[in-house]
Amino acid sequence: MIAFARRFFLAAALSLFATGGAFAHPHVFVTAKGELIYGANGALKEIRYTWSFDEMFSAFAAQGLDANGDGKLSREELQALAKENVDSLKEFAYFTVSPRGAKALEFGEPADYWFETDNQNNLTLHFTLPVKNAPKGGIAIEVYDPTYFVAFSLADGKPVSLQGAPAGCAVDAKTADNAAANNPSEAFFQQLQAGADYGAQFANRISVRCP
Amino acid sequence: MHNSRYLLIGFVAVLVLIAGQALAASAFGGPAVPTSGISGWIFAQQAAFYRSMSAAVMAAKANGTAEFGLAWLAFLYGIFHAAGPGHGKAVISSYLIADGATVTRGIVLSVAAALAQAITAIAIVGIAAVILGGTAKAMGSTVRWLEITAYAGIIAFGLMLVWRKGRALIAALRSSSHHAHDHAHHDHNHDHAHCDHSHGPEPSELKGKGWLKRGFAAVVAVGLRPCSGAIFILVFALSQGIFAIGVIATFAMAAGTAITVAAIALIAVLGKGLAVRILKTRGGGQLGVAVLGIEVAAAILIAAFGVLLLTGYMASERLFAA
Repeated sequence: MIAFARRFFLAAALSLFATGGAFAHPHVFVTAKGELIYGANGALKEIRYTWSFDEMFSAFAAQGLDANGDGKLSREELQALAKENVDSLKEFAYFTVSPRGAKALEFGEPADYWFETDNQNNLTLHFTLPVKNAPKGGIAIEVYDPTYFVAFSLADGKPVSLQGAPAGCAVDAKTADNAAANNPSEAFFQQLQAGADYGAQFANRISVRCP
Repeated sequence: MHNSRYLLIGFVAVLVLIAGQALAASAFGGPAVPTSGISGWIFAQQAAFYRSMSAAVMAAKANGTAEFGLAWLAFLYGIFHAAGPGHGKAVISSYLIADGATVTRGIVLSVAAALAQAITAIAIVGIAAVILGGTAKAMGSTVRWLEITAYAGIIAFGLMLVWRKGRALIAALRSSSHHAHDHAHHDHNHDHAHCDHSHGPEPSELKGKGWLKRGFAAVVAVGLRPCSGAIFILVFALSQGIFAIGVIATFAMAAGTAITVAAIALIAVLGKGLAVRILKTRGGGQLGVAVLGIEVAAAILIAAFGVLLLTGYMASERLFAA
């Protein structure tokens, strides 16, 4: 009976494999830059984000928005989309979080949002995100989508800069290794099996250290 | 007594399957719970192909012959992408388990479902974007309504099958408890699950031509939900002024999707065949009941899957997913 049960469940498991699914890859790719603006009190006041979208998503998001049909997307033509995006980003906490264990960040309403386009009509979203509860001085921030529907990476060069930070503060930014998803290593598979916060392995880590 | 043991096995099988589905459903619409290194590899492949497709579209725009490269890429993407959530693998596979699993049916339904998804994507982008000049938002709400309709359809379809198979099961149970005699005529030498329904109502409908009609319902319910990858590539091709090439790529993608869905459907067919064979060596006269138990379980699974899709979908309205 035990052998029978084992064989039966093998069969059931085969069917299960057939009906179960794997998972989706990112459909949106964002290259991010940020300016960390400090207030007079010596704490991070706001983040001035620049998010550049990949060409496929840009084409999708901008579909039908060229109101005057001149083949170019103006800031005005894209303004309603910009508002819509920053409004819905709230639900996703702007994909901006404290590292695990640290106090959660609280944000104000985004300001100064608009879309810029390059000559290929690729979209770049600008917005300023007020941070309400940052401690004085140093801070650590992670930028990623836990579900990895959106793949974030930091721009090359100096993607994150400081403005008005207390003297001696320095920023360090580590971009996500999204390429790991294209060229998986043993470690990549181990991380895949780790748990629910799947996108965390693709987190961009920004840290400000102050003396 | 035999009956209750097989019913128990069938019931456990349902639970196992539903647990598996719940896991799969959580992967739907974004949140992903990867399970193995193989999944990781599949994931990596589809991500890489997806990223190369936009470059291929631009190459196709610049050079007429590059569209073959794009179609090939889209085909490969389809193969790997279909291993991800969606694409009706679950519904098609469960349907095959519930309603006569044969290799031919598995292939026909898988190809039809992949084709239907491609046509849906082309129709949405073609009508909403090309003809009406609509926005991503307009396409998004079209997709949303289609998805809700599709998921409701899957629930209805599952319940219809539960009703059909459930009645057959009850009839079989009643009949086998009333007559304890051995049903020698059940001992066919072949393993088609649908040979064991002689106790159920409308036997001709259960094993006969009806599958095509019911299979068609499954294909429509699955095919109403377009693949997001196809929509993206169509809109991108449109933005580059080469919509027709996007259409070709979408069909190439569907060909790839069909291969994966069919392969998985065939595993389901194999799984059921194996289960039936194992039960046969043990079950004797109770085989019909046990097989019907599995089929009812699979039918329940389809309905449950529809519910999970509907609720999971509602809960995960994505920012960019539109």
